[in-house]
Amino acid sequence: MAHLVFENVSVRYPIYNARAQSLRHQFMRIATGGKIAAEAGHTVAVTALNEVSFEFKSGDAIGLVGHNGAGKSTLLRTMAGIYTQDSGRIIREGRIATVLEIGSGMDPELSGYENILRMGMLMGMSLKEARSKIPEIEEFTELGDFLNLPVRTYSSGMSMRLMFAVGTSFQPEILLVDEMFGTGDAGFQEKAKARMHDLIANAEIFVFASHDHAMLGSLCSRVYELKHGKMNHLPDFHVKTLEQPES
Amino acid sequence: MSSRWIETRRDIFEALGRLPAALFLSWSDTKARYKRSMLGPFWLTLGTAIGVGGLGFVWSTLFKMDKATFIPLLTVGLILWGFIAGIVTESSQLFIQNAQLIRNLRIPLFFYPIKLILRHLINLAHNAIVILIVFLIYPPDWHWGAWLVIPGFFLVVLNLSWMSLFIGMFAARYRDTETAIANFMPLLFFMSPVLFKAEQLGVGSWIVWLNPFSYFISIVRDPLLGHPSPDFVWPVAIVMAILGWAVTLVMFNSRRTRIPYWI
Repeated sequence: MAHLVFENVSVRYPIYNARAQSLRHQFMRIATGGKIAAEAGHTVAVTALNEVSFEFKSGDAIGLVGHNGAGKSTLLRTMAGIYTQDSGRIIREGRIATVLEIGSGMDPELSGYENILRMGMLMGMSLKEARSKIPEIEEFTELGDFLNLPVRTYSSGMSMRLMFAVGTSFQPEILLVDEMFGTGDAGFQEKAKARMHDLIANAEIFVFASHDHAMLGSLCSRVYELKHGKMNHLPDFHVKTLEQPES
Repeated sequence: MSSRWIETRRDIFEALGRLPAALFLSWSDTKARYKRSMLGPFWLTLGTAIGVGGLGFVWSTLFKMDKATFIPLLTVGLILWGFIAGIVTESSQLFIQNAQLIRNLRIPLFFYPIKLILRHLINLAHNAIVILIVFLIYPPDWHWGAWLVIPGFFLVVLNLSWMSLFIGMFAARYRDTETAIANFMPLLFFMSPVLFKAEQLGVGSWIVWLNPFSYFISIVRDPLLGHPSPDFVWPVAIVMAILGWAVTLVMFNSRRTRIPYWI
């Protein structure tokens, strides 16, 4: 049973400018009692999530919308446990997989096969487990002989196929995906959709941040909008998307 | 026990549990670096051999030193220095370089220093071939104290692991650290007993012992070459490990969750 609960979770995020990251300015600040170089330690704190609460249970397919910088990626990273909340409580039950940025964990000089093992082990698999996933990944990515070539020769769509295949290969119970499907071609999008439907059918949790309303409409059962650090349920999202002609 | 401390402890133990993965990844990093080269990682061995051979013959002639004592001294010293300096210098990039991984996968943060140290251990293993060859040419006269090299080396790695985590965190927050370290390392090199023995400085030898890395070199090299380390070397290295780990743990505990934002 997968379970993901946020209770009044807030995440504030310091943005360090060049001066705040300078050791000399920090010394100056201490030496001058913080008067002369008052600006030196100036960091801007952005409140990315403000008292967010929700409860996701097995079988939930959640869509996240929001304009750029609304905090979708921060929310996904907080769900994954990469970012730690400043206040509030998070309950996570279930193996988490993230497919957030293209190419993370891959070494461009190594072949596709070697990268499958690398990424698998980074996700916590043993070498044996990672090896056992290879046939399935070969089949899913349809990359064929390209898997013998270094990843730097791949197009972004190909890297994404590989990442998505590895990310979903170990049956995650909570799958967090950031908008990245744009790079896949139609054939891959169909396969990815099918795989995500499988995951949802297996009563897992799936969270997907995207700007692609048609895709959100077809994959997600509930859609939330992130705005000013708050999450709002959009109950009529599906109705609206259906009314609009597909663009 | 506070929940923060429980999380910190979990980070460290989970990272240690991923030792096989760290080993696999550092090996694949090493392979990736020498991809498309014929000798592969053995370029390291060759590079060290050339350096040691060249310096050894030039300096032993220049300083009129006995080759049989000077060349093994220099070989072990240079290789150890390369190991220590490599870890310390690259630690200033520890979290910054892995930013993409840290922001995308939930991996315990202590995993990164482990991976870095393992990669340098792999390099060291390649370089050890040169030590072996030098010892075949100039056999050291080992006595029973030579076994101290094993706990000695372990103590060095224990010290380097807190240094790596400490520097990695500090450098992620304050970006001058990297340049500062790069600038201080040559100075520390000349303050380490790599090209000479500390005793050769006579009264001035205390300068060498201001440098923490001198202890690391002494603790491993002396038993390997068959002479005892000065009495204070072991206690200082042990105290350094305890204090260093204590300070680093306090810092890691209070700032660990900020690291993903710094990078």
